[in-house]
Amino acid sequence: MSRTLGRIGRTELPPEQAHALRKAKRVEWLSLGYAAIAITLVGLVMGGSQAMRTAWIEDMLSTVPQFAFLIALTVIRRPPDPKHPYGYHRAMGVGHLVAGVALLAVGGTLAFDAVAGLIAVEHPSIGTVQLFGTTIWLGWLMVGTIVLISAPPVILGIVKMRLAKQLHSKLLYADADMMRADWTTHIGSIVGVLGVGIGIWWLDSAAALFISVGILWDGVKNTRASVLDLMDMRATTVDQSEREPLIRRIDETLQRLPWVADAASRVRDEGHVFHVEAYVVPKRSKVRVTDVDAAVEEVVALDWRVQDVSVAVLSELPTPEREIPPR
Amino acid sequence: MWASRSASGRAVRLGALAMSASLLAGCALIEAIPADPDGTLETVSGSVLEVGVSPNPPFTDVSGDAPEGTEVTLVESFAASIDAEISWTVAGEEELVQQLTNGELDLVIGGITDQTPWVTHAAPTRAYADTEEADGSTTKLVMLTPMGENAFLAALERHLDEVSP
Repeated sequence: MSRTLGRIGRTELPPEQAHALRKAKRVEWLSLGYAAIAITLVGLVMGGSQAMRTAWIEDMLSTVPQFAFLIALTVIRRPPDPKHPYGYHRAMGVGHLVAGVALLAVGGTLAFDAVAGLIAVEHPSIGTVQLFGTTIWLGWLMVGTIVLISAPPVILGIVKMRLAKQLHSKLLYADADMMRADWTTHIGSIVGVLGVGIGIWWLDSAAALFISVGILWDGVKNTRASVLDLMDMRATTVDQSEREPLIRRIDETLQRLPWVADAASRVRDEGHVFHVEAYVVPKRSKVRVTDVDAAVEEVVALDWRVQDVSVAVLSELPTPEREIPPR
Repeated sequence: MWASRSASGRAVRLGALAMSASLLAGCALIEAIPADPDGTLETVSGSVLEVGVSPNPPFTDVSGDAPEGTEVTLVESFAASIDAEISWTVAGEEELVQQLTNGELDLVIGGITDQTPWVTHAAPTRAYADTEEADGSTTKLVMLTPMGENAFLAALERHLDEVSP
């Protein structure tokens, strides 16, 4: 009994996830270190290229999900208290929303700038720079810098993607997804700079538009996903592509119990853990309390993400969760 | 044995040829970057360089028959380096920038500093020298070129680097 109650709103993770979380934290700090270097280098050679400026802002923006994740991590660790009986898990979802909106806003601004540049027939100027006594075209320095900084985010993105799936963290997943796609931004800015180099002025704005549309799309995806989660959408897999298979397993587990006639559950994603409300119709009108407790325990044992389970015994199923064809 | 050796020798020669050809092509491409969308450097080389001068002694002095001053001398040596003759247009800075934007001028000088507000209308060169203001502060001197004419801008900056290190 006390074991079951002790699990409600718990904040500790199973060893495998705790390890993944520690690793995720390290990788996030590493990403921030990389971002600091990349932002400094690109800022130094940015010059008059719109595409470079857009890539630069993208580099800065890419730190928003990372900060959000690290901040959310310290918040979700707080245990539930009387004022916050559900715990602080939703901080992950709030971080996800903040990151999504930031991307949306800045992506939109950058796309607008790029289109305005195209309409105004703005010819970008990239001059020379004196380096160790020789004068070279700044564009070469830009291309060199971009090539230098473009590999780490792809590697970090792949590592984070794996951790995000292990931790069922949509915020970390979004961050990983963005980092993995970072090379398209970098290729875009190289194309823009070299376009200016060979005299095709509009390639710069076009590349900037391409990069900003990418940011905008990240924003749309993440804002939409986080809002839906905060609106208690039925739990999905970490990439939001399908219904969380765990829901079916919970229902089946409860339906298999000898005293249960029928069962269905509502499962929502609290950021990286699930809160489960299960409804059970018993075969007979008398139900033992210990049976209900055992049912809760079995559901909790299904998956580490199941952290808050309540089983209600009713005479019929009120839940809309089941796949019932519309009347 | 012999045959294979000569075959590999041919492969090496072919490879070397291909490599030097691509290297040459690469060099030609690198030489061609940056380019001017409107071909300013090509147009003025061996022809006429249209320069706008706004009076601002000692950099530009238009009181005499021909413009004089430190910047005038710099522009003259740049014109010489690309085998161009200079056609001077004397007017106020705003008028000159307007003409630069319209493509009537290739270059505008007049003691303009890197704090110039014309950056949305013209491409300033990298600062080529420092100058001391009346209040004792230093500012950096630049010249104005047409937006996006990067080969011309690069050629001018390269020349300024050479003559005023």
